[in-house]
Amino acid sequence: MDKKLEETSDENSVREDGALVRQLIADMEQMTWDRVGEHVLGNVRRNLQFKDNGKSLAALRFHELGEGDSAIVVAAGPSVRRQNPARILRERSYLGAVISTDSGIAHCLRNGLVPHLVVSLDPHPTRIVRWFGDPRLREQDLEEDDYYRRQDLDPIFADEVGANREIIMLMRKHAAQMSIALSTSTSLAVVERVIDAGMQIYWWNPMLDDPEKPGSHTRELMNMNGFPALNAGGNVGSAAWMIADAVMGKRRIALTGMDFGYYGDTPLSSTQYYREALDLVGEERVGELFSRIYNPHVGGWFLSDPAYQWYRQCFLEMAAEADCETYNCTEGGILFGTGVVFCPLTNFLDRIMSKSIDTVGT
Amino acid sequence: MKRSFVVKDIMKGNFTPKKGVRVEDEKQTLEDKFERAAKARLGGSIAYVSKKRVAWADENKDK
Repeated sequence: MDKKLEETSDENSVREDGALVRQLIADMEQMTWDRVGEHVLGNVRRNLQFKDNGKSLAALRFHELGEGDSAIVVAAGPSVRRQNPARILRERSYLGAVISTDSGIAHCLRNGLVPHLVVSLDPHPTRIVRWFGDPRLREQDLEEDDYYRRQDLDPIFADEVGANREIIMLMRKHAAQMSIALSTSTSLAVVERVIDAGMQIYWWNPMLDDPEKPGSHTRELMNMNGFPALNAGGNVGSAAWMIADAVMGKRRIALTGMDFGYYGDTPLSSTQYYREALDLVGEERVGELFSRIYNPHVGGWFLSDPAYQWYRQCFLEMAAEADCETYNCTEGGILFGTGVVFCPLTNFLDRIMSKSIDTVGT
Repeated sequence: MKRSFVVKDIMKGNFTPKKGVRVEDEKQTLEDKFERAAKARLGGSIAYVSKKRVAWADENKDK
């Protein structure tokens, strides 16, 4: 195997944990259920009325998106600002499947890349629709929620009204060219926006528990709407990867913007769950909820909270069970370990576009 | 604070008592409730189910 494409391990990684981090990571499954359980079940029941606005995700097994057996997931971690994967894919004329998270739409479209498939999952009632451009956004909404402008996101989100307007325009132009793998857990605002925009919908249920066990919530949802259930790994980026592997059957999948963390110099107040962390332990102890992790592949330190570290654990478990080869081309963050090849996106593309591709992983 | 599991701790013999022993659940304090509510805001976007990938619904309808 090419030296630059070697599978990675944790051996050279260093981590400094805050006092509360490991306890919270261990509790994350229950915390997630407490956070989203009711929302999810309510949304799935309500979205039953939109069942016929689209197909089952299962139909994607018989509908080829992108050429060949590779796919690239574009998520919206802080690295996309520095690495600009959409620009690289456009310049290299990549013809394989491009799968974007909902949060990655703006990055893709602003850089001239129209993804084949978008994935959306989070049940939040008001925030997620912003990734699609929210025609109903009011000034009052912005005053009440600083979620977007506070974080280390694409700089366009500093001007929230301007960003919203730009995404609406881009969606008007390109939405009909994009399909969406839409979880039944998504909010009414997202579902109505997607339908209005004219995206082809492929519905799926989020796997909430083991569907084979008695009393399973997942089985109840499947019986209710007839759609398959997908293990989303805790977050939309992992769900996108799972769809590429287990539904679309892609065999070489690259991840971009999947940082699961922040650059080491990011102020804690610019992290996703900072407000929630403050509520839990107060300002004096908030640092105890974060870890500093050294990524030996890029030689840099990254900051990560318990939710992101749980995502990482889940992802590495899923990668170990997968049929595909996984390449993390984020060039930053904390997602490295057994089963994941860590390399620059350009190296992955060199492999994909050359005939020596058949030897990868042998 | 009264500990409601004392009886359970004492009765660890290898016999079945004639009368059933009722063990009360420790009552959640306000602090516990607050902590759980605060923690709930820190969770992930969705569940993770170990060792599972996709559960297909009805193979015929899926097509």
